[in-house]
Amino acid sequence: MPAGDEPESRRVVVTGLGPVSSIGTGIAEFSASLRAGRSGAAGIRSFDPAGFPYSYAAEVPDFCAEKLLRGLDPQDWGRSSQFAAAAARLAADDAGLDTGRIAAGRFGVVMGTTSGESQVVEALTSQAVAGGGCQAFAPDALARLPAARLAHAASEELGAAGPSVTLANACSASNYAIGYGYDLLTSGEADIVAAGGADSVCRWAHAGFYRLGALSERACAPFDRDRTGILTAEGGVVLILEALGHAQSRGARIYAEVLGYGLNCDARHMVAPDAESIAGCMRAAHHNAGVTARDVDYICAHGTGTVSNDRAEADAVRQVFGEHAPPVSSIKSMLGHAMGAASGFGAVAAVLAIADGFLPPTINWDSRDPLFPWLDPVPNRARTAEVRIAQNDGFAFGGNNCITIFGAFR
Amino acid sequence: MSSLVVTGEGVVSSAGVGPTAMRSALAASSRQPPDVRGLYPEALPYTSAHALTDFDVRALLGRKGTSFLDRATGLALVACGQAIGHSGMVPGTWAPERTGIALGTTVGSLRSSSDYSRETLLAERPYLVNPVLFPNTVMNCAAGQAAIWYRLKGVNSTVAGGPLGFLGALRYGMNVLRRGYADAMLIGAVEEFTPHTAWAHYLRHAVGLPGEAAAVFVVERAESARAAGRTPVAELAAVRGGFHPGGGEGLAKRLTASMREALEDAALEPWQVDRLAFSEAGGAADEAIGTAAFSGLLGPYSAARIRVREALGECGAAAGALQFAALLPAPRAAQDGRGGLLAGWTREGAFEVAVIKDISGAGDSSG
Repeated sequence: MPAGDEPESRRVVVTGLGPVSSIGTGIAEFSASLRAGRSGAAGIRSFDPAGFPYSYAAEVPDFCAEKLLRGLDPQDWGRSSQFAAAAARLAADDAGLDTGRIAAGRFGVVMGTTSGESQVVEALTSQAVAGGGCQAFAPDALARLPAARLAHAASEELGAAGPSVTLANACSASNYAIGYGYDLLTSGEADIVAAGGADSVCRWAHAGFYRLGALSERACAPFDRDRTGILTAEGGVVLILEALGHAQSRGARIYAEVLGYGLNCDARHMVAPDAESIAGCMRAAHHNAGVTARDVDYICAHGTGTVSNDRAEADAVRQVFGEHAPPVSSIKSMLGHAMGAASGFGAVAAVLAIADGFLPPTINWDSRDPLFPWLDPVPNRARTAEVRIAQNDGFAFGGNNCITIFGAFR
Repeated sequence: MSSLVVTGEGVVSSAGVGPTAMRSALAASSRQPPDVRGLYPEALPYTSAHALTDFDVRALLGRKGTSFLDRATGLALVACGQAIGHSGMVPGTWAPERTGIALGTTVGSLRSSSDYSRETLLAERPYLVNPVLFPNTVMNCAAGQAAIWYRLKGVNSTVAGGPLGFLGALRYGMNVLRRGYADAMLIGAVEEFTPHTAWAHYLRHAVGLPGEAAAVFVVERAESARAAGRTPVAELAAVRGGFHPGGGEGLAKRLTASMREALEDAALEPWQVDRLAFSEAGGAADEAIGTAAFSGLLGPYSAARIRVREALGECGAAAGALQFAALLPAPRAAQDGRGGLLAGWTREGAFEVAVIKDISGAGDSSG
């Protein structure tokens, strides 16, 4: 297909990857960790976990915004915005973008998040508790609060003058961002979009997931019979999405193609996933991407490691793929659940699976779940495989499902 | 490409429930803001502000399923119900799988997330929080609850845009419809009034009084609206925007350029714009940017300026939605070849502009 300018014929490719995560910052480190099956779980440092029964999370232990950012003064921005901007910078460098030489107005940013600047909310809350009410809020913290600033931080860092949008679709938000970025490119509204997500570890999410009975003590073991739940996590992640013609004209390396995405809403329960609805989302994604279930070589699962997610996701895979389900692994076993950034990390893993020919493992896996003995979680060790088409699942509170589909570029 | 039309509106503002209450408040020469002293046990920085002091979600939506809703979600649900009703989306004339929602916000319900965080600090054990309230802490709570309440199984999205929340949702929703991911979208924005938002307004030296509102519009393709017998109120013709690194300096010029592009998309000339609205949250600074941007566009022509902040308070993400409602033509006032322009921006430098076009005869049936 020619890389013409007919809106509907514009293909979209991935030319840069920028993860800032508990298992590595920058694509080389992140990729090596995925292959090695490294875990990012450790004792919580973002807040004092005293009094919590469980005190593990997957934080970015060595995050140093000053070292990564060139345009932005980290002091003016909250932790999640810093993650977003740092990931955007890493991805732009990985893509070899010379931001001085591209049309700034054709360069957009779309970021996804669950809780935005949650650490700013917690700082404000501490001020209010100590100072006898909201009148004790610090004005400079209030300035850092709006979640829109996640995208704006990345736009400012890269000098991107196209759309700058933050989607707050909770734990599938990065997939929403990638999907919206893909639309902006196919419709001709932009030539390059930095798409991804960011979130920070916070007390309230740790407490909330614990009270839902969805938190694991030390290790996240998706698809394992004896799984105990999620580990809260954080980070930032950006994929540089580019119109094919634009990428080719600057001689960019192409990791993979974005084939399309699907999205829908359970409209049934705020927290519990719905297998029928997820299956519908998978079908919508396949349809939009112009593929069939048979074409999919790998599923990068939502795979949170809770009983309800694993069962609903496996059930949906069975409904859509029948006897021919491809391997389904969960990188949350390594990364924990990075909330709004999670499906962005999944997208990076799916793209690497295609570009580098390996399936990232589900670590901490020990026993098959008798409810889905057929499921191949790529247990504990990465596997060499040719992946032509990969599906990246993202589900969320509010029943916000979004699934992205990536393909080998040819 | 089929045109997109607005077929319904739902507005909840400090003037009351419904667009008529809002329009009366805007038409009045002056309006006394409600007394908010009895609204919360906590201290407030203002004795009066633009809150819905008598908002009773149970009275409006029933007792079932409403006891754990936060204020922002309650406001949004009422506005969604109004929009659906006004549009005439009666069962059987729309498909839940093909109907979605896009809502603008700043941070969701700040009170919900902050109170949750507060419990971890004050409870006997830090984890003794109420699991039922946990979903209220995520920013897509209102959109997720609206989906459950009204069976919206299509695209469900929340755009965190601050003052651009509504325009961001509008652009997102238009994309969804143009790409064919849904047949109809509820598009709107919500912002609640709580001690948290009131103090944030006060401590940031924001202009005017804080307020709260939710406004939601049904937007769909003209032909499916027609086929279902729903009457268009106006055409949603274009949304354009971008980011101006550094904000401030030069933003007016970029706004003017975006307005020109949007009018071109809409096939309208500047002289055909007869009403306009733009960001009011930044006081004199915004006034200067908006005035410069519009005089660059309109030249010798003039258009009626619509303001909402004075009468309805500073409503954050919902401000743009109130302005959009006010820009919709009054019943029987629509004239072909006329349109309205809405522009918004943030202090970081993000901006959007939207164009609506009148449809002659639109809204007659509701007049």
